[in-house]
Amino acid sequence: MTLRPKIKIQTVLNLVAPFMGLILVIALFSAMPDVQSRFLRAANLKSVATQSVIVALGALGMTLVIIGGGIDLSAASNIALSSVIAAYAINAGLPPLLGLVLGILTGGLIGLVNGTLITRLKLVPFIITMGMMGIARGAAKWIARNQKIDAPLTWINELMSKSPHPPWLVLAPGVWLMIVFAVVMAVVLRYTVFGRHIFAIGSNEAAARLCGVRTVRTKILFYTVSGLFLGLAGVMEFSRLTVGDPTVAVGLELDIIAAVVIGGGSLSGGEGSIMGSMIGVFIMAFLRNGCTMMGWPNYIQEIIIGVIIVAAVALDQVRHRRTA
Amino acid sequence: MTANPDAAPVPRLRGVEDGSALEMRSIRKQFGATVALDDVDFTLGRGEIHALLGENGAGKSTLVKIISGAVRPDRGVMRLAGRPFHPPGPLAGRLSGISMIYQELNLAPHLTVEENVVLGREASVGGFLKRRGVREKIRETLAFLGHSEIPLDVPTGRLSVGTRQIVEISRAIMDRSSILVMDEPTSSLAREDTERLFQVIRKLRAEGVSVIYISHFLEEVREVADVYTVLRDGRNVGAGRMADASFEEIIRLMVGSKMSDFFPRVPREQGDRLLALKALKGVRMGGAVSLEMRRGEIVGLAGLIGAGRTETLRTVFGLDATASGGVELEGRAAGPGRPWRMIARGFGLLSEDRQGEGLALSRSITDNVTLSRLGPYRRRGFLSLKKRAAAAAGWIAALNIKAGGPQLPVAGLSGGNQQKVALARLLHQDADVLLLDEPTRGIDVMSKAQIYDWMGRAAAEGKGLLFVSSYFPELLGVCDRIVVFHRGRIVADRPAAEWTDESLMAASMTGKA
Amino acid sequence: MNFQVKFRILAAAALLAAACGGPKADAPVPAGAAAAGTTTNAAGAAPKTLTIAVIPKGTTHEFWKSIHAGAVQAGREMGVDVLWKGPQKEDDRAQQITVVEDVISRGVDGIVLAPLDDRALVRPVQDAGREKIPVVIMDSGLQGKDYLSFVATDNYQGGILAARRMGELLQGKGRIFRIRYQAGSASTTDRENGFLETLTKEFPAIKVLIQDQYAGATTETAYQLAENLLGRFPDVDGVFCPNESSTFGTLRALQEARLAGKVKFVGFDSSPKLVQALRDGHLHGIVLQNPVKMGYLGVLQIVKAIRGEKIPERIDTGVTLATLENMDTPEIKALLSPDLSILEK
Repeated sequence: MTLRPKIKIQTVLNLVAPFMGLILVIALFSAMPDVQSRFLRAANLKSVATQSVIVALGALGMTLVIIGGGIDLSAASNIALSSVIAAYAINAGLPPLLGLVLGILTGGLIGLVNGTLITRLKLVPFIITMGMMGIARGAAKWIARNQKIDAPLTWINELMSKSPHPPWLVLAPGVWLMIVFAVVMAVVLRYTVFGRHIFAIGSNEAAARLCGVRTVRTKILFYTVSGLFLGLAGVMEFSRLTVGDPTVAVGLELDIIAAVVIGGGSLSGGEGSIMGSMIGVFIMAFLRNGCTMMGWPNYIQEIIIGVIIVAAVALDQVRHRRTA
Repeated sequence: MTANPDAAPVPRLRGVEDGSALEMRSIRKQFGATVALDDVDFTLGRGEIHALLGENGAGKSTLVKIISGAVRPDRGVMRLAGRPFHPPGPLAGRLSGISMIYQELNLAPHLTVEENVVLGREASVGGFLKRRGVREKIRETLAFLGHSEIPLDVPTGRLSVGTRQIVEISRAIMDRSSILVMDEPTSSLAREDTERLFQVIRKLRAEGVSVIYISHFLEEVREVADVYTVLRDGRNVGAGRMADASFEEIIRLMVGSKMSDFFPRVPREQGDRLLALKALKGVRMGGAVSLEMRRGEIVGLAGLIGAGRTETLRTVFGLDATASGGVELEGRAAGPGRPWRMIARGFGLLSEDRQGEGLALSRSITDNVTLSRLGPYRRRGFLSLKKRAAAAAGWIAALNIKAGGPQLPVAGLSGGNQQKVALARLLHQDADVLLLDEPTRGIDVMSKAQIYDWMGRAAAEGKGLLFVSSYFPELLGVCDRIVVFHRGRIVADRPAAEWTDESLMAASMTGKA
Repeated sequence: MNFQVKFRILAAAALLAAACGGPKADAPVPAGAAAAGTTTNAAGAAPKTLTIAVIPKGTTHEFWKSIHAGAVQAGREMGVDVLWKGPQKEDDRAQQITVVEDVISRGVDGIVLAPLDDRALVRPVQDAGREKIPVVIMDSGLQGKDYLSFVATDNYQGGILAARRMGELLQGKGRIFRIRYQAGSASTTDRENGFLETLTKEFPAIKVLIQDQYAGATTETAYQLAENLLGRFPDVDGVFCPNESSTFGTLRALQEARLAGKVKFVGFDSSPKLVQALRDGHLHGIVLQNPVKMGYLGVLQIVKAIRGEKIPERIDTGVTLATLENMDTPEIKALLSPDLSILEK
């Protein structure tokens, strides 16, 4: 078939492009004489991994949402609210495990409400989640009485510790959670009916409906799953800060979306992968880390990340044109 | 082919008892005041390829929508394989073994062939996909259709339209459909793809599948169909075996004897040559088009939907990019150019898509009428709203637009009045070349007559009009000259007086005049 | 100009001498001279210049620029490199943690940190300790004892200065607002407490009409609050604000209401607009911190500690009251309009 070679180039491009970005970033800083010896040290890789956990967990959920043709602007607010709820619960004397569960469930609830409103009111996800962005952020500040919540230190705060107990874990428990869930979600997307239906809805919702896919249920489900991940990210944020801060993670939803997009997710739906999104997360994390280590001013960092986002979306566009 | 065709378990199909696959009796469906179907009987035999024929708006699509479950009839009885059948929705229709294959394909472009074929019917164990047996079945189905070369793991968005259609048919077969409805399946296919499709359809017939086949291409219909039914104005006006019917009979059934419309005739004279298309070919046009028009002339563009008429107007106006050729106005090159430039040169376009791009529905009549020519109301960069409203009020009166006032949004007007607003814009713009694409579609008789009248007046003022219509009587009644498009090219160009309803229909369908 | 720079350096050195009680001569140490605190690289060849990371709460505000200037100044004099890096978004706790972790990874010789949260930054500072990187805290406090020294303004003392100025301006009687900054902000809460407690003790005849309204984080929110309060009590006699944004927002509201100058107004921290207001008589007193000195002493203390000297656990960088009368004296002028030209080079 004449299509074959073209498809191969395409596949290779799709597969390699995100990796290339990551390799490029790591190579760049590894070549800098100032930080060379330090950049690839295990301790630094450990701290980049820990710093990535929150955005990565958010990106796991956001990948589902974006593949399904949606968007979630309330992600960062959801993280803040979940972290405040977890801190509030633990501060109120509940056992830490219950605080953790409540935090995750809070995230799931926000996702459920997002999905339900999007499908029932038939409004675009942009609007619903933009509204939810304000609602969740406001609720977080309200519950925290507009200040941070100093919850007592518990084992939850060890989840994001770079020197974990027991030491044989090597990486923070949060990093392990991130790895395990990334594998789980990659499997879900590829090998389950649910995953298949998310792709179908994002690709052509009308066709999916016509083929008997329960689109409403599937959408509510993937927004809820995404919310649960944001809830977990919120608990991790609390673990890292050791306080419940309602003003935390402002603007983080854009980092999360950027990670998914850099990793090959298409904002018009139907495309994206967990692997890609994770690479997107690490590209941004290594960039931040490298820029800080180099002592470059923040504005350089912002400009570089901005350029990378535009370049990634432009690449997305090019791939689309080839598909069409 | 990987599997031995004898050993391959050919998909088992439903509705295999003898007798008709589908019977419809006294079906009636009304949308508002319009009767789409009136007392229609329709019988589909088992293993039969049944052509459903009729002009645009004759009721074909309403009928197949009722069969698919997308529309529920007001009255009438349906029996599927002898059992009463009243599908509450399209999914129920599909589950009962009725598959629709539309012009716009129902595939998810990012999913692979395999994923699309099983979409909504994925075999699974505890939520996890079971793939092995499934791939074998799909391969067998494709082999049965004679297309084992289609790869299972390529996203359908990268396949040709013809191949995608085969994928859709495979899906229907995997669903064990007993009835396949195909709506203009060949309109975007190349000839060899059409041939492949026909082979597939014949194979399905051999397996006892019934096919309802809707197409405007009469030759193809004669090639593939066994039986035909002709609808006209929502009624079944004839049916029979394809082999026993001639072209002429079928066309006569489709056209019928029309009620004579009122076509006001404004006396006019033709002047110098105004417009010339020089082998113009747009990126979306099937072929190059050459055409001339004089001042004071109304030239009709006849043909089937998709024959290239709309695309020609859009290319002239610069909405579609020009691939080759050019446009001359009064002997001087005047195109290609962007719409704003073409407006400045004296072109005006009335879009067939009134709601989508013809009008800004939420804006006022004044805004819509004056949008393409704000010059007279502009002073030092500011608009004189009062003058503008007064001008719009003048047009409302002149075209007899029924509206509460020029400040009201166009969305609140009836279709006919909306269309008059669209026409008023071109007249207000004082365009020399009016490109009118289906200006009377879906509007009432009185509004139509007024629009014809204004078209005549514009011609009498020395303007030139290109008039696209799928309603032949109005072309015959209004135009000085009519050209017929077929598959992207002009196949005939004669004075209006030398055409008849039947000859226009025949030329449109066969490409021979 | 040149004179001014020289003067500023001398002034800083003098202040430093006063604060630490050390001899003035110890300030400029040539790089490599103090073997005790100088690390050597793997090859064991030439000694390496010390790198000190200075991590503020933000990077755009005037206050932090002044700290930056002081830190750079100290770095020049001590012959060490200063790595200046704030969180990417102003006041983002999570990002400040990331910055601390990254400079630890990078490997610096010492960290001077203005923690955004007295609790959230504890763990990163412990991480630094594990990597044997000493930490000095500046500006705001941090829980625990994982750092060497705390260099900051005595905010409570600032509140006392403001209260005495207010009492003096109103001659011991009248009705005032005490506008607060933001719930949970430790430094401003100290100022607010110092103000209120001194006022009620020393000037009991002054009535505090409003004492628990928060101006919020931005000039805009402060402006709105002051506008509303002035609408309700247009005949108020005095207003106190605990930081720059609340002072400026309130100033704008007073000017809009044509009450500027009539209402006695004491604020906190300097900016060009506030200096102008002081000159115009719209503002009757500004309590000034000394951020240049804070940055300077932060770096100085950490370098001293690395070089094996003992440093005090708490260093007060002092507060000063600027008024129309004293604003043109050289000391006050240097505080009101800090010389940031060192950052340009």
